[in-house]
Amino acid sequence: MTERASSVSDGADTAGFGEPLVELRNVSKYFANEEGMFSWLSFDRDADGLPVETGREWVRAVEDVSFTIRKGETLGLVGESGCGKSTLARTILRLLEPTEGSIYFKGTDLADLSGERLRNTRKDIQMIFQDPQSSLDPRMKVGKIVEEPMQAHGMLNSEDRAARAQELLEKVGLDPQHYNRYPHAFSGGQRQRINLARALSVNPDFIVCDEPVSALDVSIQAQVLNTMRDLQQEFGLTYLFIAHDLSVIRHISDRVAVMYLGQLVELADKRELFENPTHPYTQALLDSIPVPDPRADGHRGVLEGDVPSPIDPPSGCRFRTRCPELIAPAEYDLTDGEWERVRSFVRHVKRRDFTETDPDTLRERFFDGSLPGGGAGALLSDAIADIAADDWEAASERLLSGFAEQSVCAREEPDYEVEPEQGTDRHTVACHLCRDGQD
Amino acid sequence: MSAPLLRVDDLEVQFFTEDGVVRAVDGISFDVREGELVGLVGESGAGKSVAVSAIMRLVESPGRIVGGRIEFKGETLIEVERDDDGEPYRTDATIPDGELRERIRGREIAIIFQDPMESLNPVFTVGGQLREFIELNRDLSEREARETAVQMLREVGIPEAAARYDDYPHQFSGGMRQRVLIAMALACEPSLIIADEPTTALDVTVEAQILDLVDELQERYDTSFVWVTHDMGVVAEICDRVNVMYLGEIVEQAPVDDLFYDTQHPYTEALLDSVPRPDETVEELNPIKGVMPEAINPPAGCRFHTRCPAAREACKTTNPDCRDVTDGVTEHRAACIKHDAFETAYEGSPPLETGAGGGFDVSLSGGETDD
Repeated sequence: MTERASSVSDGADTAGFGEPLVELRNVSKYFANEEGMFSWLSFDRDADGLPVETGREWVRAVEDVSFTIRKGETLGLVGESGCGKSTLARTILRLLEPTEGSIYFKGTDLADLSGERLRNTRKDIQMIFQDPQSSLDPRMKVGKIVEEPMQAHGMLNSEDRAARAQELLEKVGLDPQHYNRYPHAFSGGQRQRINLARALSVNPDFIVCDEPVSALDVSIQAQVLNTMRDLQQEFGLTYLFIAHDLSVIRHISDRVAVMYLGQLVELADKRELFENPTHPYTQALLDSIPVPDPRADGHRGVLEGDVPSPIDPPSGCRFRTRCPELIAPAEYDLTDGEWERVRSFVRHVKRRDFTETDPDTLRERFFDGSLPGGGAGALLSDAIADIAADDWEAASERLLSGFAEQSVCAREEPDYEVEPEQGTDRHTVACHLCRDGQD
Repeated sequence: MSAPLLRVDDLEVQFFTEDGVVRAVDGISFDVREGELVGLVGESGAGKSVAVSAIMRLVESPGRIVGGRIEFKGETLIEVERDDDGEPYRTDATIPDGELRERIRGREIAIIFQDPMESLNPVFTVGGQLREFIELNRDLSEREARETAVQMLREVGIPEAAARYDDYPHQFSGGMRQRVLIAMALACEPSLIIADEPTTALDVTVEAQILDLVDELQERYDTSFVWVTHDMGVVAEICDRVNVMYLGEIVEQAPVDDLFYDTQHPYTEALLDSVPRPDETVEELNPIKGVMPEAINPPAGCRFHTRCPAAREACKTTNPDCRDVTDGVTEHRAACIKHDAFETAYEGSPPLETGAGGGFDVSLSGGETDD
């Protein structure tokens, strides 16, 4: 493979290993919510008061995300469906224009590039998609598929391109003889290898992999992951690896970023993140994965409810509406136990999942008969009176504005850094629980 | 030990396609006891879904149940034998279609499918569909059925159940839709629920909620489950006993702890080795070599021998059945001739080259494939 080096004609890399290759600064991406298009996203009565009226709304798919990816590393980006992972990936590739913020690649702001220079930069950034079926043209032979990017970027002559395509097919673990076959003749895992070969053909520095193995069977997943890792070492690649599966992320990544509802909630070295998860969402995510070991003590199902709509996300910390560790508002002097009960009551009222309305029964059921003192107690008895009058809306509204909205979690956007327990990499956490010991 | 609730005996399902006969399920046997959660695990194409759809006689053309017997609570859901010409026919013991529909489906055995969007009708309200199902199957009046439906929705954790009753399926999230299907399955308090990859399409935190719900409901109603999945993590979390399927056959049957800690079949072992772990960092994964062959033309002998690290010459010719391999100490059965229970020439047989190393050369370790 010495020949490969000579075919790299884009000059010396401006970034050395370990130095920032890609840098995101306060990147946001909003979409206009045209009629009905995102209707499935906008529905969640768990969240506090969603807009149902028409008019121009913005889906805030990605909001204020900043991080850097260093040359030669794999940054894992994990989150549940709808959290904005793929939108972020597409924004980095400039398939989408960021609404705000800037993205630097090798020190150049991608937004400043256009025309020929943008095209040239695109050569250095490639992408692998989730669905190996639809990302390959069924009417093109495999060899041509791999050669196409080289052709588009005017690399090599046709003979050399064919030679390189065959070589790459072998590199990714396929038989070079398959050069003349069509994609349908390959299994899902093999198709993903073709995608890899295509991405590699133009000698990229950086590959964005959007759920590259989630459509594959576990045994095939492992094969492809191993190949990706070997290729990374051989070609000095940098990956942004997007997945919803934390086991896969743990296997492949050097550092891990966790996203929730369009924002980054935690970013740390892989070992640090898995050994010392600090954000309650990361903890919940880790606790939720079924462990392939029947003797592991299962503690799952820690999160309640669904992800709120990104059209009108919660104020402050976006996770607070589902957070099991919401911080008690400072103005009420509640003990931990009392706060626990208040929150359970608020949750049940919001979900309306009980039928009793008698004030005494409610007090007994949720507060062991005695309400906390002070302003909190007054608020609670008003809410109980609302329920007795069968006005659930008012009760729910009163409780939310009285308690949840008063918490520091609802008032300020968290952004903290904690001392890492593992390694020396920065560990950033967007959670107010980390405010102690901060400046 | 109580008699099994469901017994599947030597079930064979074949698909008659233009390219030939696909033996999707090839002689599998397993049982489910009262209150038990039995797993059916394997990769895509192993025949898991076809096997469970056969239980309710839901195999669609060109598929056909061509052999075997399924017994549920002493009744024969299906029994197929072959006549003198080798043509399969249903015996008289098989209960008639109408009776199966009216008495068994929904009432005694319910199914939950993977995709909750496709199982709900998009043009009817969620509550209406649930109500209709309850009304038909439990002979309740419309109003009683409606009350029961709201009650069930509340039970499976739908917030504001009464208000959400009139919503349409698209207004529910994936996890909530799956909860509705669980409510529907439970509505008639069936003895057995067949769950075909019910959490595969869901996010992990939602999956965890659903698994919790199933745990809780199982405790309350003492329902038995057949749980189809490809996820070893889910198996470890919820199953009591597990059947591992490979290419239409069951290769290992064991209580869940034995399956993970006293694995007896090379395929199960390879499967466990190839999954990345959420709870520990594994440096190098050890994938299973190659891909699962097509069911239309399965390898002769043991079907796994082409990918098996322990394969020997004898494996090419002998296709082992699933036998007790622990001398009856536990209910642990495996279909691999390396065990003493099989009196074959495995010991003296030379190893096959393909699987000898157990490693996997497609990965580009070192310079192996470089020149």
